[in-house]
Amino acid sequence: MSELLELPWTEAREQVSPREYVDACLRAIDANASLNTFLHVNREPAVGALPIALKDNIVTTDMPSTCGSRILGTFHSPFDATVVTRLRARGASLLGKTNMDEFAMGSSNEHSAFGPARNPWDPTLVPGGSSGGSAAAVAARLVPVALGSETGGSVRQPAALCGVVGLKPTYGRVSRSGLVAFASSLDQIGIVTKTVRDCAEVLGIIAGHDPLDSTSSTTPVDDYTADLGAGVKGLRFGLVKEALDRLAGEVRTNFDDAVDVLRGGGATIEEVSIPTIGYAIAVYYIVANAEASANLSRFDGIRYGHRSTRARTLDEVYFDSRGEGFGPEVKRRIMLGTFALSSGYYDAYYGRAQRVRAKLRHELTSAFASVDYLITPTTPEPAFPIGAKSDDPLSMYLSDIFTAPANLVGIPAIAVPSGFSTAGLPLSLQIMGPHFAERALFRAAEFFENETGYWRRSPAVH
Amino acid sequence: MEIDRDEARRVAALAHLEFDDPALDRMASEMTTILTYIDQLREVDVQGFEERNATVTPFRDDEPHRSADRELVASNAPAWRDGLFVVPKVIGGE
Repeated sequence: MSELLELPWTEAREQVSPREYVDACLRAIDANASLNTFLHVNREPAVGALPIALKDNIVTTDMPSTCGSRILGTFHSPFDATVVTRLRARGASLLGKTNMDEFAMGSSNEHSAFGPARNPWDPTLVPGGSSGGSAAAVAARLVPVALGSETGGSVRQPAALCGVVGLKPTYGRVSRSGLVAFASSLDQIGIVTKTVRDCAEVLGIIAGHDPLDSTSSTTPVDDYTADLGAGVKGLRFGLVKEALDRLAGEVRTNFDDAVDVLRGGGATIEEVSIPTIGYAIAVYYIVANAEASANLSRFDGIRYGHRSTRARTLDEVYFDSRGEGFGPEVKRRIMLGTFALSSGYYDAYYGRAQRVRAKLRHELTSAFASVDYLITPTTPEPAFPIGAKSDDPLSMYLSDIFTAPANLVGIPAIAVPSGFSTAGLPLSLQIMGPHFAERALFRAAEFFENETGYWRRSPAVH
Repeated sequence: MEIDRDEARRVAALAHLEFDDPALDRMASEMTTILTYIDQLREVDVQGFEERNATVTPFRDDEPHRSADRELVASNAPAWRDGLFVVPKVIGGE
């Protein structure tokens, strides 16, 4: 592997020409095709100093967008996503589209219609999901930066399982115009990088209000690198008590070690109770699926994407195109969401989930009155074998138990490598902050990264 | 919450999804497992917390904007003729 690609983007770009950098990435992508991280490689990209990969639910005019699904067929977007427009304007090289769970529904990448991406630390393991291709590509040093998307942890969870940095910005911080909608009150574009500084610089490029996305915020874009190097002395970190109670084994030990690193930097540590946090997954699977069932009704075989050749009537066009085009997990979620919104069950399921969500929002935002950050492990366990949870959707859903709260409440959160299990698999620390506190998240995460240096270790790939 | 085959069939029709009977039974059983987990939300005291989010998404001004290029739309359409999407006959069909 090229030593160049071991460097963070912000260092590598100083050392070689954009052409050499892009070529090194393309060679690495080809040499590691067996990881199945890319669904489409752009062999002749515009050459710029930021080689980047995009999750395949972020649309571009010059590449297909499949969302990891068969239902989009040969769809080519007539427009670029706003993040793509911003990246192009800054001279980014768009190197391809990364593998993902179909419509971003999954925590393992196994729900991709094009086969799972593999974890570069051990190709028999999942890379996490749904942005598994993006996380695996950065971890394998194929690209320095990749964009993903988050609905319940889909950037942070694969970043954790692959040992890289993953950011979910505040809801509304980054425009979603051109991000194929999954659950509109939760979705947010996120960033995967090797280092925290790279992540902060990329957020500066893609953040900001966009007239094409009415949910994008008019809050001014911060200088995200301004506090890098400032340390954590005097900063207050809250340990979520209810999350601690669920930890065991190596993940617990690793988390305790992470807390010691922060304490050693002069941070104050206290326990904080968020009683409703344990209900986050139950709330999530009602809210997200209800919204998905509405958003995915647009895939009907009429205007774009797959139309069944069997269909003879209009109803058959709908039923057969969707039946052939959607995979089992997407159907399961559409069914759950449709049920939760259906007459007679709306109040008991959707209405109640939204009220519990409001309670969780109240508890989390109140906690930030007494602490600057809340921390948990990013995931309850390291990467698991491909196939291990395939027959048990609920146990797969619980992979997102620590990440989903930030989506439900709209706050930013970052996953940063926190070491390795005895089997040599990456573990990760999650740092959450109040709305629009990305700059503070980068400050704490970069301190942790510098103290520990785990990002320097990379998997043995070609 | 117990979902049986008939209930799964009702939901599938609403969702424009079709399953054969074995698939419907499997779906019903998976939905039952997941909804039973979700039923723990019943034990949360939500007194004082409203369903509706206080933050409202603002509307843009109601002014015309350029929309997608017609040729690009046509190139993605499964069936297209004379500037229109073609679908099977809805009225008076077979």
